[in-house]
Amino acid sequence: MTEREHLERDLRSLGPTVAWPPTPDVASRLELSPRRRRALVAAVALAVVALAAAFAVPQSRSAILRFFHLRGVSVERVGTLPRAQELPLAAGLGSPVDDAGALSVLGGPFLPAVHGTLYGRDGIVSTLLRGPVLLSEFGAPEFLKKFVTSNVEWVDVAPGVQGLWISGAPHVVFFFPGASPRLAGNVLVWATDTRTFRLEGRDLGRNDALRLAREIMGTSKG
Amino acid sequence: MRRARRGDERAFAELVRMHQEIAYRIAYLISGDEGEDAVQDGVLKAWRALGRFRPGAPFRPWLLRIVANEARNRRRSSGRRAALALRAEREDVSGGAAPSPEAAVLAADERERLLSALEGLPDDARLVLACRYLLELSETETAAALGVRRGTVKSRASRALERLRESYD
Repeated sequence: MTEREHLERDLRSLGPTVAWPPTPDVASRLELSPRRRRALVAAVALAVVALAAAFAVPQSRSAILRFFHLRGVSVERVGTLPRAQELPLAAGLGSPVDDAGALSVLGGPFLPAVHGTLYGRDGIVSTLLRGPVLLSEFGAPEFLKKFVTSNVEWVDVAPGVQGLWISGAPHVVFFFPGASPRLAGNVLVWATDTRTFRLEGRDLGRNDALRLAREIMGTSKG
Repeated sequence: MRRARRGDERAFAELVRMHQEIAYRIAYLISGDEGEDAVQDGVLKAWRALGRFRPGAPFRPWLLRIVANEARNRRRSSGRRAALALRAEREDVSGGAAPSPEAAVLAADERERLLSALEGLPDDARLVLACRYLLELSETETAAALGVRRGTVKSRASRALERLRESYD
């Protein structure tokens, strides 16, 4: 046996003695309730790597029931929500920006074309719609992290455009990297290839949210 | 496989269950503590990409390629080199029964020394040897996991063995 063959044999014999960490049972996580399964499939449709480090939260939230992504949005189901403030919808949205400013942040014009005052902060452009409903758009893929105990439902916003409808109990959102978490009301998030949209309103209903989203997407086609 | 491709999640989960251990270990080798998230997201991406899976092709290298890609992306985004925590077990791995002939080849302290030498290699060399010998992947599977050609696996493994021999002697 050559020296190299000896070394190969020794390496092979090392294999069974390595103390690997326990393998997570990802297969069982696929075999979940129908609703959760659909949410997971939805997540994959637009899966991205979440910038978890930017939204560091205490490790003590041990009851995380796994998570899913929708482009820029990472949603984690948890047993207990992290502590968060209740703030007005318009709090902390940043400074007013004009259409050119929004375009440079988003890589395309803010939708809908007709809109109220725009506010920009950290790559997110927002405006308040009647309701009040907060519409936020972001072009960069990693921005939002949500913790929910409430309902999450997979919805078709438009042909080929899928979204998540989060409703029921308020959930916690880390809206900007490094910002304090706040409680959020009902939310519809959806994403295209280049942009993520988010509508939020405490009294926002599922059908109204979808109608609004389709109007916004309709504008995009024009 | 046919059921999985038709959208049967349970059939896909069964396939994943057969290969999740090896997939996780590769993800762990590449991205350390990010390995669990990498294997989960990789599996989800594989599920979504099943429509592009070539019928008749082997499933395992295909899955390993996707999971390993996910692990590499996570390591790049975290900006950290994976801090491996591999440790050769001092106790008998067979749980009290007679050690297997292979495990008995090296004494415990020699295993520690060899593992330490392996850990000291540059990443490319460490990964190719870990895939080929610790995980006993085929050249095809190693190529899929490392995102290189089979020929590259051969030459890289050969050079890595030489480096390991130099540092282990």
